[in-house]
Amino acid sequence: MADITEIKKAFLDELSAAGTVSDLQLLRVKYFGKKGVLTAQLKLLPTISSEERPAFGKLINEFKTFIEEKTDFKESELKHAELDKKLVSEAIDITLPGNYVPPGSMHPINQVLKEILGIFVGMGFDIKVGPEVELDYYNFEALNMPKDHPARDMQDTFYITDEVLLRTHTSPVQVRIMEKTKPPLKFVAPGKVYRCDADVSHTPMFHQVEGLMVDSDISFSDLKGVLELFIRRMFNKDIPVRFRPSFFPFTEPSAEVDIGCILCAGSGCRVCKGSGWLEVLGAGMVNPRVFEMVGYDPDIYTGFAFGMGVERITMLRYSIDDIRMFYENDIRFLRQF
Amino acid sequence: MRVPIEWLKEFVEFSLSPEELALKLTMIGLEVESLEKAYDDTVLEVNVTPNRPDCLSILGIAREVSAMINSPLRFPECGIQAESGPSSVAVVIADEDLCLRYAGRDIEDVAIGPSPEWMKRRLEQCGMRPINNIVDITNYVLMEMGHPLHAFDKEKLKGGRIRVARAIPGSRVTTLDGSVRDIPDGSLLIWDAERPVAVAGVMGGAESEVEEHTKQIFLESAYFLPASVRRTSKALGLKTESAYRFERGTDIEFLEKALDRAAFLMATLAGGRVSKKVDVYPKPFEPPKITVRFERVNKILGTSIIPDDMLDIMKRLGIEVLQADTKAFTITPPSYRRDMEREIDVVEEVARFHGYEKIPVTVPKIHTSGGGTDRRHEHTSTVKTALVVEGFTEAVNYSFMNYQALDMLSLGSDDPRRRTLTLRNPLNEDESCLRTTLVPSLVKNLVVNVSTGSRDVRLFEISRVYIDQGESLPKEEHHLGVLYFKEKGPSLWKDETPDFFLVKGVVESLMRGLRIQGYTFEPSTEPFLHPGKSCDIKVSGVRIGFLGLLHPQIVEKLGLKVSRKDIVLLEIDLDLLFNFVPKTATYTPIPKYPGIERDVALIVDESLPAFTIIAEIRAYPSELMEDVVLFDFYKGKNIPEGKKSLAFTVRYRAKDRTLTDSEIEELHAGLVTYVTTRTGGVVRGA
Repeated sequence: MADITEIKKAFLDELSAAGTVSDLQLLRVKYFGKKGVLTAQLKLLPTISSEERPAFGKLINEFKTFIEEKTDFKESELKHAELDKKLVSEAIDITLPGNYVPPGSMHPINQVLKEILGIFVGMGFDIKVGPEVELDYYNFEALNMPKDHPARDMQDTFYITDEVLLRTHTSPVQVRIMEKTKPPLKFVAPGKVYRCDADVSHTPMFHQVEGLMVDSDISFSDLKGVLELFIRRMFNKDIPVRFRPSFFPFTEPSAEVDIGCILCAGSGCRVCKGSGWLEVLGAGMVNPRVFEMVGYDPDIYTGFAFGMGVERITMLRYSIDDIRMFYENDIRFLRQF
Repeated sequence: MRVPIEWLKEFVEFSLSPEELALKLTMIGLEVESLEKAYDDTVLEVNVTPNRPDCLSILGIAREVSAMINSPLRFPECGIQAESGPSSVAVVIADEDLCLRYAGRDIEDVAIGPSPEWMKRRLEQCGMRPINNIVDITNYVLMEMGHPLHAFDKEKLKGGRIRVARAIPGSRVTTLDGSVRDIPDGSLLIWDAERPVAVAGVMGGAESEVEEHTKQIFLESAYFLPASVRRTSKALGLKTESAYRFERGTDIEFLEKALDRAAFLMATLAGGRVSKKVDVYPKPFEPPKITVRFERVNKILGTSIIPDDMLDIMKRLGIEVLQADTKAFTITPPSYRRDMEREIDVVEEVARFHGYEKIPVTVPKIHTSGGGTDRRHEHTSTVKTALVVEGFTEAVNYSFMNYQALDMLSLGSDDPRRRTLTLRNPLNEDESCLRTTLVPSLVKNLVVNVSTGSRDVRLFEISRVYIDQGESLPKEEHHLGVLYFKEKGPSLWKDETPDFFLVKGVVESLMRGLRIQGYTFEPSTEPFLHPGKSCDIKVSGVRIGFLGLLHPQIVEKLGLKVSRKDIVLLEIDLDLLFNFVPKTATYTPIPKYPGIERDVALIVDESLPAFTIIAEIRAYPSELMEDVVLFDFYKGKNIPEGKKSLAFTVRYRAKDRTLTDSEIEELHAGLVTYVTTRTGGVVRGA
């Protein structure tokens, strides 16, 4: 019987020399194969005396387990090392740029418009739309601006014929809705409007959102409430708000709504022309004459109307100083939003 | 309206600083736009709204200040010491509908000369140029009291007569500015015995002008109908301070005070003798009586103002209260407040002087169904999101178009897009029609973007187009327009998909987003698209739009300085498209049993559309065929001339069991035979 210690030592030397999984496989065969070392020792068992046999057998088994464990362990080590090597060789240069495709976006005007409408829909307003090419009647006369009235000067109009024009505000939508619906009413009318004007703060086409609320007990204090709510959601909840008297032919009393200048916080700057206030909305109680023309009894119904220019609000929001940028559609501008 | 503070202080006393005054005026509705220094004084620039012509004068503003701070109002000196005899001018109003009152005085033996310094200074502060004492006095009284006056050289009035009458065809006047003007029919003129001497309310005539050697003046103070003055002023293109006030409505009662004031100044400063007044006033003004209910005021404003406070505001405004009880009060508005006609106008006055900032803030109770968008709004949102997700940027273009753009697109003469509406007063000739298609705008966007160096221009626009349909208003259609241009330069990660199919993929995902099925693509009929790389898009047989490359001929004309000039255009009529959006979506149960896939590659004629083959495959009578996907398209080596190879994956699945390989082999073989027979194709590699 060969010396177990010698065999063990030889095995361990061969084990550390094994460099690959297939080397280990050969090693296994060398010890456990048909002509293997351990197999040979097992064959010796019958030649050992019965008193020594159990001890010898145990020794062989222990050695067998020893070889198996060591070989298996080394195998898993080698496999890990191989995997690691493989992974390293597969490495990519993570500093290369990604497959970047400039994303799309909505036009800034429409983004702000969506936000404005969202606030009003959240307050229970419907959204109504109407034609952009309108009749003089709906754009002016029904809004208490008869022909030859100086109030028409406030809006330079594009005409197609004497009676057909491009609407100068979205108020005609309100008249159309009132004509076919009885109060109570609560809706906003967004859309494109047109005026012959073009400079750094005016474009021939722009966007408005106007609103109307009519019921039997609507008052000016309600107008203040709704508009303040809108302003606080749109700008910030602590912004100063003021209402001051003004004039629109279709509202009485009328008001302009100012917010504290968001650029200089009221101390005075170029944007607010030193006044500390920015005009953002026009509003007022609907003139009874307008109600009469749509067939509502002004003694029963009252209501308020308001309107705002979307471009103006967008320009304030993003500090854009030239309104014409919105319509140049330079993709370097559009992609910023 | 320019208001020098020192001048204002002549009529009302106050100790507010200019800034405080400006703020207070703004808060009662007279917005002060700026404060300027002129001649050691501050001049306010007040924005007077069209409904308050009574504020177009220093006295008018003073009246508001007086009511605002409750300080008494003083009037300018108008007393005429002695009148010489009656006026020597006979006045006749022929057209009483256009001239409701005409008054005047003779000022005899005046000495024309420069005005005193204080008058010149005030005129200049108000932006007027001093000329001579007589003319300056009329301008001064205009600014001070708000009523336009006109001074004639009396000796130049032929026949010593004034007749107020409409122009007759061929009427001509040489106005003070030296222009000879043809007067439009129906305009009101001031005539002497022979010819027109002034355009009523707008501008005087040169032939009766007051000059250096004038000795005798006839001073006019009249009331002309606002609409008439406005029409005449517009028709002649003459915007004067006088016309501006008349068209907004002057004070028909007060004009005699203005006349007296000017006469007084002329006597004092030019040494003239003032005659008695001539005054033709056929129908004296009768002010309306307005009854105002206390409760109604508070209901409309949402306030609880007590009756005494409302009556006090009337008093401060100089409005006479005829009577009052516990429920209501009746007033008669002064002649300068023609904007006060009904109860609601009084409500506004109460609100203004009570203070808008004192009106409470409440949230209304309302009983509507409220809060919602309609389906078209939602579908439009879906479309926008789909396009943004696909990497497109939204453009918003003006609704205008140059008609010639339609020629550039080679549209036929009976193409509905040629039925354009034209603006009578466009801002420029390039934008004189309304758009009937979004293509020209998007192409213009491309040209501009390429010229500023962008080479990746992927835009979409959702807007209306306007088609004349022979009625008073056009048809407004909602369209989606898309333009795709991406120069394929060297890049790290390559995408070989042809541009056409990239955009077609967008259309497919759009349809998916809207859950629309049954859409097809057919060769396009549009003359501005590449005939071999374009298609019409149909849903259930209805044409809803087109997709394709812009015709190379048109692309050449654009002169783009780029190497690859593939520009893909898409336009869809969304109103038509949305008709096909199903009302609801239903759930389809997911399969319980696995499917098996088999491929087939066919060599077919080049001209056979892929769609036809897929249709044939789908037509194979077997319920077990679930899906067909085209995954390869190949032309070239190993494929005969005039042929192409298309490879498909067919998926089979049974609802109630797992299919076996042998079942599938038989089925698939049957399919291949079926398809090759019907398409004349051959299995590749066979």
